Amino acid sequence: MANVDRIKRQLLRDLVQQNVDLIHGRAPRRRRRGDVWRFAARVASLAFLSLALLGSSRLISMFGEPRSAGAAAGIAAARPASAKVLEPATAVPSKPLDPVDAAVFPLAVHKIAIDAGHGGGSTGTRTPEGLLEKDITLDIARRLERLLESQSFQVVMTREEDRDVSLEQRGALADRAGADIFVSIHVNWIDNRRSRGVETYYLGPTDDPYLTRFAAFENRESGYSMADMKHLLERIYAGVRQDKSRRLAETVQGSLFQALGKLSPEVEDRGVKAAPFIVLLSTQMPAILAEVSSLSNEDEARLLTKPLYRQYIAEALAKGIRAYADGAPEAIAAGGKGS
Amino acid sequence: MSEKKEVSHEKREVLQVGIDLGTSRSSISASNGQRHVIESYVGWPLDMVARKVLKKPVLIGREALENRPMLDLHRPLEEGLIKDGSEKDEAAVRELLWHLLSLVGVDRESRNGVKVRAVVGVPAEALRVNKQQVRKALQDAVDSLLIVSEPFAVAYGMEALLHTMVIDIGAGTTDFCVMNGHLPTEEDQRTLTQAGDFIDEQLMRLTRERHPEAQFSIHMVRAWKEDGSFVGQPKSPVVVTAPVGGKPTEIDITQEMRQACESILPPLIESMLDLLSRVQPEYQEKVRNNVILSGGTGLIRGLGARLEQELAAVGGGKVRVVKDPIFVGSDGGLAIAVDAPDSDWERLTA
Repeated sequence: MANVDRIKRQLLRDLVQQNVDLIHGRAPRRRRRGDVWRFAARVASLAFLSLALLGSSRLISMFGEPRSAGAAAGIAAARPASAKVLEPATAVPSKPLDPVDAAVFPLAVHKIAIDAGHGGGSTGTRTPEGLLEKDITLDIARRLERLLESQSFQVVMTREEDRDVSLEQRGALADRAGADIFVSIHVNWIDNRRSRGVETYYLGPTDDPYLTRFAAFENRESGYSMADMKHLLERIYAGVRQDKSRRLAETVQGSLFQALGKLSPEVEDRGVKAAPFIVLLSTQMPAILAEVSSLSNEDEARLLTKPLYRQYIAEALAKGIRAYADGAPEAIAAGGKGS
Repeated sequence: MSEKKEVSHEKREVLQVGIDLGTSRSSISASNGQRHVIESYVGWPLDMVARKVLKKPVLIGREALENRPMLDLHRPLEEGLIKDGSEKDEAAVRELLWHLLSLVGVDRESRNGVKVRAVVGVPAEALRVNKQQVRKALQDAVDSLLIVSEPFAVAYGMEALLHTMVIDIGAGTTDFCVMNGHLPTEEDQRTLTQAGDFIDEQLMRLTRERHPEAQFSIHMVRAWKEDGSFVGQPKSPVVVTAPVGGKPTEIDITQEMRQACESILPPLIESMLDLLSRVQPEYQEKVRNNVILSGGTGLIRGLGARLEQELAAVGGGKVRVVKDPIFVGSDGGLAIAVDAPDSDWERLTA
């Protein structure tokens, strides 16, 4: 009985705190299931890492300096398979790692960076009723995180709560974590409010004035200086990464359209497009930005308030990512229009 | 409680209430011992004539439903949340709440000098914006407000706080919650939109397909379901009366009833097993043997047994059906309201 009373007191304390956070507009504090396990796993992985470091000179002499993403992924594999939010880094890496061709390793995609668009003071688009893009993207990102972890992927989240993270920091977080692909989740606002559809972007040039305007809008909180921009723009046409990004975009777009088109025939396949989004530019790995729905459409906005619909979107994203990781995206991508 | 310290200098009497603001029915349990349930309908007279006939500015619950041709009728909650945040539906929620409070003795004008502390349940996966809408709708009616997930309120009221899974099937949502002795996180909870209303829609469609000549409304279908819902084998044929060409006629809807009720089983079973598989392995058996089925739709005959069949495939388990599903949520809310110390309530001013 004393035990029940103790649990009740703790529950009430947490419940009240959760409500006080709600009143003050603060993001809920997350307690992750299995924290004790995760702590133990971290201790074990640190011990493993220490042992590995003791023998590192021998390893380096055998295989050369571990600069490649493959070696980085090998170290990453020794870490616990839990999601992890890293502290933001502000520096732009000056020496990009060369991406490794997926064909070289059968399981090249181990770690996925999920970027919930906007956050904190950057609310993104919003409906008159107060439904905010930043809340929707975070919810879908968390669902996607759970789905991918259940498929043994490692997941890195650029944010797990309602807070400001600059576009520059998002890419840097993914790079530092050694993510293999980067998926940024956004919800669109389409001027023609009757239109509802999904579209996916990868990094590249565009002559389309609408896309240029759109990219400028999304890039307005980049935090990059002009010098950084110049440095980054030189890397735009990094061919292999762009090609991989395009394939990832096609696969995810196909999966999204297949899943959501089944639910609502009005959902349009707005295709795969290239555009110079800073958040994609700032990463070293294949990166896409998926506009998974459109808050400008009343039906979509209503659906987005429903957990099941957000779950469908997360499942469609997970399916697309899985297909890309399995190296067989063609079947799904057939459902998505190219740029 | 041995703690007698006064935090507030006000001498107003305190009334704690637990409220289950449901899509179909709303219930209130108060610390003065009163409990009431109403149907979640609110209607405003359509015109001058209706106002003269009805003699009330607003009608609530069963009274609203029965006079619906003369009313701008609102069922303001959809899937357990205020519909699209529209002003009319927010107003309807406020009317519902005031009506519930009046039933437990709070006067709308004078408030009787009573300080009202309310705990209100919302679906487990309600977004922050949804919770803010609820808070906004209720802020004038109560002094302090605590919003909780519905299945958590059920678990708290039943003191099922450790190694328990609550499945709360209402009209708008089916909510799952695994209790591990701490406040459930998003990973411990799940919400499905397949619930009572979903069954009503299926039953409406199936009956219309099989008996196109019969005339019936969604309200009639809802009443048929409440009388004769089942999964598995029927105890007796489900025969209802509906007008055919204006003449009351008996029609057999046994097959349609089974098909409609069983339509929620696949997602229900999948979510139950998925949440169970996420419980730490050493506690899975305990949780399997401590599944609580609550909510009005949880009363579907044979549902508990069917879930036990599914649990048998993963090592066996027990499903307890709550005997008083109408008040289990509001009673749980009241238990939270009573247990929360004064100092916490002061932080939760509406």
